[in-house]
Amino acid sequence: MSSNALGGFRILELSTGVAGPFAGKLFADYGADVVKLEPLSGDEARNLPPFFHDHPHPEKSLSFLYLNTNKRSITLDIRTAQGQQMLTSLAGKFDAIIESYPPGYLDNLGVGYSDLSKVNPNLVMTSITPYGQKGPYRDYPGDDIIYEAMGGIMYISGAHDRAPLKHGHPQSLYIAGITAAYATSSALFARISIAKGQHIDLSMRDVSAAHHHATPTRYSFVGTVERRAPKMEAGSPKGGAHFEGIVPVQDGYVGATFQRGIQRGSYSDYVKLLNREDLDDPDFPPIEFPARIPSDKDELLLSALKDWSKFDYFNKAASESWVAAVVQTSQDLVEGEHLNERGFFSEMDHPVVGKIKIPGEIFRLTGSPWALRRATPLIGQHNKEIYCGEFGICEEELVQLRRQAVI
Amino acid sequence: MDGPLSSLRIIDSTTVLAMPTAMYLMGDMGAEVVKVETHTRGRGGGGGVTYADNVPPNNNHWNRDGSFHALHRSKLGITLNYKIPETIEAFKDLVRVSDVLAENNRPGTMERLGLGYEELRKIKPDLIYFSFSGFGYSGPWKNYQGIGRMFELTSGVSQFTGYPDEGPRRVGSAWFDPPNGWMAVFAILAAIHHRNQTGKGQWIDHSMYQMGASTVGDALLDYIANGRNGKLMGNRHTSKAPHGAYKCSGDDNWIAISVESDNQWDALKNVMGNPEWANEDKFGDVIVRWHNQDDLDSHIKQWTRNFEHRDLMNTLIEAGVPSGAVLNPKEVLSDPNMKETSIFEKLEFPAETGMGTRVFLGRPWSMSETPSYIRSPGPDLGGDNEYVLGDLLGRTGTEIAQLYELGGIGKEPEPMDKPGTIQDFTREIDQGTLRSYDTEYKKLLGIEP
Repeated sequence: MSSNALGGFRILELSTGVAGPFAGKLFADYGADVVKLEPLSGDEARNLPPFFHDHPHPEKSLSFLYLNTNKRSITLDIRTAQGQQMLTSLAGKFDAIIESYPPGYLDNLGVGYSDLSKVNPNLVMTSITPYGQKGPYRDYPGDDIIYEAMGGIMYISGAHDRAPLKHGHPQSLYIAGITAAYATSSALFARISIAKGQHIDLSMRDVSAAHHHATPTRYSFVGTVERRAPKMEAGSPKGGAHFEGIVPVQDGYVGATFQRGIQRGSYSDYVKLLNREDLDDPDFPPIEFPARIPSDKDELLLSALKDWSKFDYFNKAASESWVAAVVQTSQDLVEGEHLNERGFFSEMDHPVVGKIKIPGEIFRLTGSPWALRRATPLIGQHNKEIYCGEFGICEEELVQLRRQAVI
Repeated sequence: MDGPLSSLRIIDSTTVLAMPTAMYLMGDMGAEVVKVETHTRGRGGGGGVTYADNVPPNNNHWNRDGSFHALHRSKLGITLNYKIPETIEAFKDLVRVSDVLAENNRPGTMERLGLGYEELRKIKPDLIYFSFSGFGYSGPWKNYQGIGRMFELTSGVSQFTGYPDEGPRRVGSAWFDPPNGWMAVFAILAAIHHRNQTGKGQWIDHSMYQMGASTVGDALLDYIANGRNGKLMGNRHTSKAPHGAYKCSGDDNWIAISVESDNQWDALKNVMGNPEWANEDKFGDVIVRWHNQDDLDSHIKQWTRNFEHRDLMNTLIEAGVPSGAVLNPKEVLSDPNMKETSIFEKLEFPAETGMGTRVFLGRPWSMSETPSYIRSPGPDLGGDNEYVLGDLLGRTGTEIAQLYELGGIGKEPEPMDKPGTIQDFTREIDQGTLRSYDTEYKKLLGIEP
């Protein structure tokens, strides 16, 4: 019995980068016992920028600190025979393994799914790879920009007369982590009915392709191929179907739309929203904005918006039921009232960086809430606790394993 | 063998994009998902209406929109008009035999109907009640309406996204809708695991904004620790170079190249035939390459424009240079690797619909023991009224007939929806919103009868 939602589960994470660790973090943050297995020199993701106080150091990567809260860390060199033997015995005590080695790598070491499931038939193993375990691209390298390119999101993003554009932040990796988490959780649930574990084959490029149901549907129903559309002109609705690009205001940018509730609002109400009744126009349709508005009106509204600050516009528009957004900076998110009042941030006390405010709860399970139970682990911080305390390896043996560079 | 979630029953009282995505995934995974609609409002499909082959359907047009089927496949469908008290009772009976209720109504709506969590837990103590909203149920912005395509901006992703000389941009899809749906599946399952251990249900407060912010956690820490905000990155990376999209031969074809190590750079130089410029000192190591990216990119794009984007990808990868073609939607669908994975799936519609066989988004993963697949097309409006109210909830034929009589349930929209308009592709191509209109698409997808 546990007040943590996932308190009964033990997850072993053999994964680097962002996707696998984010999946592991979701399990750990909601209560599972997640053990991160690192190479002796530490997970390479400990080198991912940015760093605390811009000081490159394996315990100070902010990306790593964020992605590994609530986990424990052990080290093991799985390339050694002894390491493989130990991993095999570890697998017997875990419900799931999340791994992101290239296809076939663990099999070649004798610790792939087919080997480990013999030791533990209940094991769920989730393999996160660029293109999946099968197919002509299985050995192709992957990367955030490659997933966004090969998944189709990039082609439809950006300006039609410029290069296709990716997200400026590695979003494809985070969403692959979410996917790995829900798929793993589903397979854990399935054990109730099928009484065994299974292997999950996840392709990160396919996760990026899954962002958009409309493009495959439209091609398969009517044969149309979308492209980067002129209506996305940033900072300008010129040539646009809707005035809903990102538009500049006094101190930044807002997402301004003419949508109000579930309908299109009226021009007259929109100029009232801007406190610019003087721009009202009796010749303009009184009920709904037309699908396309004349460019002279665009110009007028753009210039009226320039008198607004981003939060004044956002708060007024949103309180009056207009669909609106504000391009927030990290500072806005960290210091803004809303997330702070919702308890999104926690304080982590970390042995190397000290006390630090850190983003935490994602969704609120009111009956078994999110909690920061452990700070992000140091490299191999829990070797003794786990190997000796939970796997009965004696302390002398641990020292020997260290001297042989196995742990 | 059945899907991983085959013992679950879920009530789907959700609309738009994110939550219907969560619900169809759980349906694909075998859960019995009962989509609750009302026949007295239009039937929104979560996008423009897309009729098969752009031809107006000759019957039941409200059941024929392709985007509706993309989002609501693998679900049962019932209609409940809440103005009729008997339907509220039917809803509560459905709650009694279900594991999960998922809803994304405006805060307060369910309470007004007597269907809020506090009310429903009285009749089903271990119910998992999942509420999905833009900003969550607390905090100063709780009453603001939130839609997926706006959260890129508010959640902090847009501070990075855009051409640096221009300003922030949204990407070409409602980015945070599907991932919010995926996170919702994880959240619901977490509560199910907890219920299975403790016997207790709970209410889940899920906010799109907060979920979006969780995907930029590293950037938020960069501000907290270093006082740094994000900046527009174009297609560049914080440390890799070259890193970008480069134009290839043909119309609007591009390749993405991502070089990190010196080995990869040497490999790229080799493929390019070791041109003189590439051996200049200013490109000699990753740090100088990164600092001289404008120069570097202008050389590389002179070279890439001579090649077909997919051929070039294969050549580069063969040589050890990470790269990927920037595929358009048609190329994604016909990509050879996609035949080996579960990301696209064919679905054959019943003959009387005239919709033929179509390809939909599947799932970006597969499981070795418990298959997931599109279990059925999206439900006809009220298509499962008889099964759910009769077989599941034990209403007699007479009681069901009375409900139809009262207008509590129905199978046709009232008032009748206007059929959607047929799309004018030529105009869209002229306006630049479409790349092309392909007449051979069914042959290419292998869905022609």
